[in-house]
Amino acid sequence: MTIPAKAFQRWLQGIAPDVSTADVCRISGIKRTTLAQQLVRGKVSVSTVVSISRAYDVNPLAALATFEAYRDLAGPQALPTRCELVSQVSTADLLRAVLARPATEPAGTSGSASPPLTAAPHATSVKNWVDAIDDGEVRHRVSAATGVAPQNYSAQLTANRLSPELALATALAAGVGPAGGLVATGLITEEEAGWPPGARQAALDSLSDGDLTALAGDRLQALGKVLKRQEQDQAQTEKIWENLG
Amino acid sequence: MIDILQWSTLAICALTAAARVPSAIRGENRSLFYIFGLMTVAILLSIEAPYVAIDQALGGINLANLLLRFIIFAAIYFVGIRVTRGFGADSAYRLITGKAGMVVLLVISLALMILFFMMDTAGSSAGLAGPSQKSERNFVLVEYYGAAGRAYPAYVSLVLLPAMVSAVRSRLPVLVRVAAALLATGGVAIALTLLFPVVPPEWGAAEFVINYTAVLCFVLGLALIWAARVQNRKTSSAKRTYTEK
Repeated sequence: MTIPAKAFQRWLQGIAPDVSTADVCRISGIKRTTLAQQLVRGKVSVSTVVSISRAYDVNPLAALATFEAYRDLAGPQALPTRCELVSQVSTADLLRAVLARPATEPAGTSGSASPPLTAAPHATSVKNWVDAIDDGEVRHRVSAATGVAPQNYSAQLTANRLSPELALATALAAGVGPAGGLVATGLITEEEAGWPPGARQAALDSLSDGDLTALAGDRLQALGKVLKRQEQDQAQTEKIWENLG
Repeated sequence: MIDILQWSTLAICALTAAARVPSAIRGENRSLFYIFGLMTVAILLSIEAPYVAIDQALGGINLANLLLRFIIFAAIYFVGIRVTRGFGADSAYRLITGKAGMVVLLVISLALMILFFMMDTAGSSAGLAGPSQKSERNFVLVEYYGAAGRAYPAYVSLVLLPAMVSAVRSRLPVLVRVAAALLATGGVAIALTLLFPVVPPEWGAAEFVINYTAVLCFVLGLALIWAARVQNRKTSSAKRTYTEK
């Protein structure tokens, strides 16, 4: 959901009084035409608010919470669950972690400490996040609460996207911290969401060898499906061009 | 209005055919060049002035009209083959090239010729408008002849339709899906021509519009797939040089 231009202007006055729109754009790296268009339409995008907050050293989460549609983000943040944290570890990092476990590593070759995890979001972070918090009914509840058709919701997940509005609704429907989805979609960073530093690594380390390996297996299987589908699409496209190009 | 439609369709067909000349010389998908060329000739033969000129050269008994019908059959046959091959519609391919398709083509061709030679066809005029007014008998024969001439294209385009509809819904590149939508629209338009005998005479202009819509949709659809391939080749070669650096 976008932010009403009026509320945005009021908020902007609060954090940057008497600064021209041009200056705001320059400092926050937003294209001037983009912001002008959003203001004219009366709908300011959430990412605009995030960019401006960062430029003025305001926590984007706190900034968003001042708007009516996002007031659920206010207040002390619930810590992310272990499932959520692990879901934000990229598949490559997950596989590296499997290989580093004593259960899979031949004795005597254990060596260098694993490199730091790549920052969230990763290539399938949105889908993995929803899968991690889904009790089987979350999609239905989100769809009922927001009026977004289940197939449109699934399409967004498959494309590793989720609108901020839906990300928030999903977190609420699953009963987890409201900011998790915004991290998974890459709108805000873990740090901005109040996730403790190293939390993902700690969550990963706390998984048993069996759980970790099974999880990595699931990820690989899903990745394999996606790759296979892409290859099939590619082959079909090639065939069309061969015959009709 | 109809004049503009006719001549612009002719221009589009001719330009597309001309644009295919270089690749036809290189030996890439020559049949596409033939399709565009045949379509150009077909349009030429359906416009009054060139039709009369050509028919006079052929003896002035409207043989050019019979020729036109078979040119359309050839064009739609090649379109059917290339499109079913390209989109991997094997059952549709068999319906066109297999026994059923051959029987349909043979029966319709025979009917077409028999009806043509039963008519008194002296006096060149496009669409056999002149001969149809000579007598009640001729009027009926021209109607049947026209129906037979529309039957084969309608058969092929109905065979193609399911494959096109599923291609529109697929995950193929956007341009290819738009092309499939155009081909499907063209197919529906051709199928609609079967209803011409029951169309009231006041709607004569609608018949023209439907005919030329069908041709335009087919030509633009095929050209679009080609454009998609050219575009893809450009982007993929750009990517390659990027990774080679």
